[in-house]
Amino acid sequence: MNLSISQRLAAMFAITSLVLLSMAAVAMHCLLERELTRHQMNELESRWHLHEPFIHRNNDAAYWDYVASKLDSILTDSQRVRMWVVGEDDRFRYGADLDEAQRATAYTDGFGELLVEGRRMKSFSGEVSAHGERPAVRMMIALDSTPFAETLQTFTMGLVALMVLGAVAAAALGSYIAGIGLRPLGRLSREAQALTPNDLSRRLQTDTLPPELSQLAQAFNGALGRLESAYQHLEGFNADVAHELRTPLGNLIGQTQVTLSRERDAQELKELLHSNLEDLERLRGIVNDMLFLARADRGESAPNRVEVSVAQEVQRAVEFLEFVLEEAEVKVRIEGDARASIETSLFGRAITNLLQNAVQHAPRGAEVVVDVRQQSSDVRVSVRNPGPSIGREHLARMFDRFYRVDSARSGSHENHGLGLAIVRAIATMHGGNVFADSGEQGTVIGFTVAAG
Amino acid sequence: MSGTEPLYRAAMKVLIVEDETKTADYLQRGLREQGYVVDVARDGISGRHMALEYEYDVIVLDVMLPGVDGFAVLSALRERRHTPVIMLTARDRVDDRVRGLREGADDYLIKPFSFLELIARLQALTRRSRGQEAMQLRIADLHIDLLARKAWRDGQRLELTAKEFALLAALARRKGEILSKTTIAELVWDVNFDSDTNVVEVAVKRLRAKLDTPFATNLLHTVRGMGYVLEARTSPEVLT
Repeated sequence: MNLSISQRLAAMFAITSLVLLSMAAVAMHCLLERELTRHQMNELESRWHLHEPFIHRNNDAAYWDYVASKLDSILTDSQRVRMWVVGEDDRFRYGADLDEAQRATAYTDGFGELLVEGRRMKSFSGEVSAHGERPAVRMMIALDSTPFAETLQTFTMGLVALMVLGAVAAAALGSYIAGIGLRPLGRLSREAQALTPNDLSRRLQTDTLPPELSQLAQAFNGALGRLESAYQHLEGFNADVAHELRTPLGNLIGQTQVTLSRERDAQELKELLHSNLEDLERLRGIVNDMLFLARADRGESAPNRVEVSVAQEVQRAVEFLEFVLEEAEVKVRIEGDARASIETSLFGRAITNLLQNAVQHAPRGAEVVVDVRQQSSDVRVSVRNPGPSIGREHLARMFDRFYRVDSARSGSHENHGLGLAIVRAIATMHGGNVFADSGEQGTVIGFTVAAG
Repeated sequence: MSGTEPLYRAAMKVLIVEDETKTADYLQRGLREQGYVVDVARDGISGRHMALEYEYDVIVLDVMLPGVDGFAVLSALRERRHTPVIMLTARDRVDDRVRGLREGADDYLIKPFSFLELIARLQALTRRSRGQEAMQLRIADLHIDLLARKAWRDGQRLELTAKEFALLAALARRKGEILSKTTIAELVWDVNFDSDTNVVEVAVKRLRAKLDTPFATNLLHTVRGMGYVLEARTSPEVLT
């Protein structure tokens, strides 16, 4: 069941008021019942003590008829109050329906209940001691409790009606109040619906919102901000791709047109084809790398992982780069080791790119340090080169595609600015991440892979 | 192509199953010029028919084909034959490659691929069944002893490092073949990934300094945009 918030609130208000009112009603009912009972008992007791001296005083059987008529005159409302007197001597008797009264009290003193002519009554009985020729008699007084019960019933019905009405009123009021309270939410939702990809800089207004919604809207605005930057990033990236492809394409078209505009001998045509091939290989390299990056973007993880010693894989890459390192007069030292489950060809590519990058920035005769260490559930591989430090603004972006720290050094055949982006993609495919830091003692660039 | 000799002397029969006309045409022409006997099927149905009816040494099979796709052709073929198959996939997806290999393909290439790479893969597939390789190689006045890991030119011992020798041996074993940088990296360093390094250029430069510079003629040639080739050339060099 999918109720709206105002429906939920109305229902909850109704249930709450119903519970509270019932508790109050039960308490009031109990209180009233007790008071009514106490009232009846007081009346019974006082009446008994009022009549007891009169019965006690009269000890002459001849005079008992007078006593009976006197009692009759006192008990005018005989329906409401009844009185009985009974003893061993049958001459000293009073009251109709005596058997029922006797059965009910069972000759015990104090309060009791009895049913006379269909009426529920409360009774009080006690012994009047013997006096003269009259033996001890038992005197009972009963009070009709029906009017009290009726009062209690009417009162209870009133309470129940009040409860139901109260609950309905609470539901209606709750719904109305929720409607008022939720008005900003409706406005927020309309505002959110009005957001389109065409206007990415637009945000939800948070200043007029209540604090609870303001937080939500701020979180939403944060997500919008990240989306906007991702969107802009993507747009910039498309422009970069186009730019990267444009240069070799322009060369291809231009030099082919130039060559074909005159008669050329076979050697010149051959020359053109070789030159074209170089540019085409470059294009192919970019396209393949882009496809590779797209794989990581799709969330693909490295499929063929084996558990190996990371330092050994680094050593393999160092051996591969041996000639380049010698040429640049740069030494590599590997520190530490850890075991990790990696796809060795991907890992090799990442570490080769990092080493290549370090060699390009390290001065002659320098030592590049590769540090491998286990860090909680990750294995951290960092490459430190003692080259000049890199500005903060570059560090954050150096793993972006086509981002070049040194914008002058570009256009080389081998380096199309995707090297570090590929490192990041490979780290991502191994459940890791990249990091970079730069300072006086050089630049550290590296990545982590999940150890397991 | 600078090599005048075909890469293969025995006529190997290749079937190309590829619907893209330009691709099929250049593959056919290129492989023919390399000495292969080439048939082309331009859709899955005729490809399946030809693969099942005729004998081929190797089949180059595109994944995305009209009619019946490459996987279907492969599975139909595998029910009856064990002809080596190289799959061509335009989709750079692991599942395509994994699926291809699982269903019986012997190798795969991702488009865009280089022709040299295809040649290298074709040779790798057909070379497996070849006999013992010669342990002594001779190219003009170059003499290589693969067992002793020593090389001489014009009677003079060449002082090569281990990797320089490995590079020379890799080139000499494929005398006259153009080896791409990727292939060289794989053969010499067992590195099977693209990298932004110029390791191969540096290695070739070093080898050349010991192999060619002291002598009158050059054996190690650069083919721009393609790679390197080791051969004795009679005509004066123009392409380096």
